[in-house]
Amino acid sequence: MSSTPVVAGRRRRRSAPGRRRDHVIAWLLIAPALVYFVVFLLYPALSALYYSFTDWNLRTTASWVGFQNYVDLFTDEVKYPHFWKSVQVTLQYTIIAVPLTLGTALIQALLINAIKRGSNLFRLLLFLPVVTAEAAVGAIWRWLYDPRYGLINSVLEVFGIPGQNWLNTPELVIPALAFISAWQCGIAMIIFLAGLKGIPGSILEAATIDGANAFQRFRKVVMPMLRPTTFYLLVTGVIAALQVFGLVYVIFSGAGRSVTGGPEQSGLAYVLHLYLFAFRYDAMGAACAMSFILLVFIMIITAVQFKFVKQEAA
Amino acid sequence: MSRAIAAAAVLAFALTACGSGDSGGGGQAAESRTLTYWMYQDRTPQAGEVVEKIRKDFEKANPGVTVKIVKIPKDDFNTKLGSAISSKTGPDVSTLDQPLVSKYAKDGTIVELPAGTVSEGTYFKGAYDTNLGTDGKYYGLPLDQTGVALFYNKKLVPTPPTTWDEMKAASEKVHAADPNVAGMVVPKGDGYGGWMFPGIVAGNGLEMADVASKKILFDQPQAVEALQLWVDLLKSSPRKITDSDQPFQNGLAGMMISGPWDVPTIREQFPELDFSVAPLPYKTEPAGNIGGENAVVYKTSPNQDLAWKWLTFITNETNNGPLADALGGFPVHTKATAVGSGPEHEAFLAQLKVAHARPAVPEWIQINDEIIAPAIESALLGKMTAQEALTDAANKTRSLLGWNS
Repeated sequence: MSSTPVVAGRRRRRSAPGRRRDHVIAWLLIAPALVYFVVFLLYPALSALYYSFTDWNLRTTASWVGFQNYVDLFTDEVKYPHFWKSVQVTLQYTIIAVPLTLGTALIQALLINAIKRGSNLFRLLLFLPVVTAEAAVGAIWRWLYDPRYGLINSVLEVFGIPGQNWLNTPELVIPALAFISAWQCGIAMIIFLAGLKGIPGSILEAATIDGANAFQRFRKVVMPMLRPTTFYLLVTGVIAALQVFGLVYVIFSGAGRSVTGGPEQSGLAYVLHLYLFAFRYDAMGAACAMSFILLVFIMIITAVQFKFVKQEAA
Repeated sequence: MSRAIAAAAVLAFALTACGSGDSGGGGQAAESRTLTYWMYQDRTPQAGEVVEKIRKDFEKANPGVTVKIVKIPKDDFNTKLGSAISSKTGPDVSTLDQPLVSKYAKDGTIVELPAGTVSEGTYFKGAYDTNLGTDGKYYGLPLDQTGVALFYNKKLVPTPPTTWDEMKAASEKVHAADPNVAGMVVPKGDGYGGWMFPGIVAGNGLEMADVASKKILFDQPQAVEALQLWVDLLKSSPRKITDSDQPFQNGLAGMMISGPWDVPTIREQFPELDFSVAPLPYKTEPAGNIGGENAVVYKTSPNQDLAWKWLTFITNETNNGPLADALGGFPVHTKATAVGSGPEHEAFLAQLKVAHARPAVPEWIQINDEIIAPAIESALLGKMTAQEALTDAANKTRSLLGWNS
């Protein structure tokens, strides 16, 4: 977001008009990005901040209510009976989905990195879920999780594990959703792969000569050297997981299905809850407040990670 | 995170940009007036032709009047409409989803139906009552209506049940004959199940609420019995079977409750399924729920008289039949002829004559989704008795609305 103009001004000996021209060009170059940022991000975000302190339904004039929306969200269980449930769902999802996604991505990257031939093909195949339209993802996984015809239950039954009613059992909904996100780990996989390529072969070779086996090499060389990559993926992964919406929406909405986040609100992700208040329950002001609560929460979580998670390669 | 809000803001921009030219609509001079009407995008090209024909007929009958129809995809409709209203670029008259009428009425965004515009009994009561505001006044006219009825698999359930007891017996019989087949697809405790539930309660002679006297009624015995019916039906209809993909269509359930939209899709995709539709079984009186589109006139419109004229025209005896069909529902005018035929068609027509409107409470969708639906689900899952669940839900609703009595 921070597109600061740092182009001109280096060459001291240039004449003043020349420098001014540089400035003009610089501003012109960043103008499109800046206009986009101000019109489509900054202005709406600031308006949303304002509206979060109002009672507003999109149609009428917003009336100022101070911190009422925020206080009510946290304390009024009559007005917002499922607010804390949505927080809980989202945290659970994040705790399960992020490690699962990163783990899957790392394993995929290690496997692709290890093979000599056909790595392009596998990379493509493993990346496909990322570029699949969300509605299609929803349809595919509803089918895979089908209690009667689903492929997942058929596979489980081969191993003697009884099939589950995945998307209709409250306890299983979040793991089932997290599993889909792990399946869509392609971007993390590509970034891990780039990280792996960046580890000099000589270091691994030296470790091998020193007698380190594959597992030791992975623990003592690969993992420490991947730390910046892992840290980046952790931070962005947590942010994305806290904002999960599309996946839940396509899984739990559509003709004849609930819009309310699955059985017993077990899939009522924070942003889905926000969306319902904004566009279904006519409470745009409260929805704006929810979005700012999430923003602050994400900032805190990210700061905590920067403080307590090791990020430099060792 | 604030993407949705950003989208709304962007929308507002776009609408101000393109809507500013035409909204004022025709100087007051009688010779040329423009009426702007917003509606959902056509479901089919044929539906578009129907609307276009009605528009031309209206213009012919009213020289000097131009009706400008703006069609907006249904998913974006409410957001665009809300943004346009707030930026004062809204239409004169528009389609409006039923449960939004009482909200818009409460805002003062729309105007009351002028006395004498329609005579008593012009429209079916259920459909007409979906236009009520909390104050007991009418704020719009119905365009079409839809509702749910009982779909039954003729092989599994040869004669459709007409009472609750018969329905339970039929369900048990189906499941007893083959434990892999469910008696029926019992609705769930979600927004959709919550929408159907009032129709069942009305079949036991009770409304969900009495808006005029600010009383919540759905914890009364009649409603508890309705929920108990679903709980009982679930015993012969395990979810393990009915949660699979399209269980009724695949012959895994004897009955289901659904709407007219499912008839053509089943005929097309499951041609071998031998099914039909009957009105919902009831306990004390035939009844059902209702959905559909209404239309309202905006306070900012300089052409309110013309707008009501347009609405009574498109819903009159002649036009309402084809219009309702174009919109995907059934006519609301008592004398209009519905397009279509066959036993399913007859069943839905009979059903809609006894439809009951949702309580005219602006917060009803939220109450439906966040309070009633979870209560239904906890009763269905056996976490609470039907009475406990509904008592709890009714108390929550009273607190939310401040109707403590």
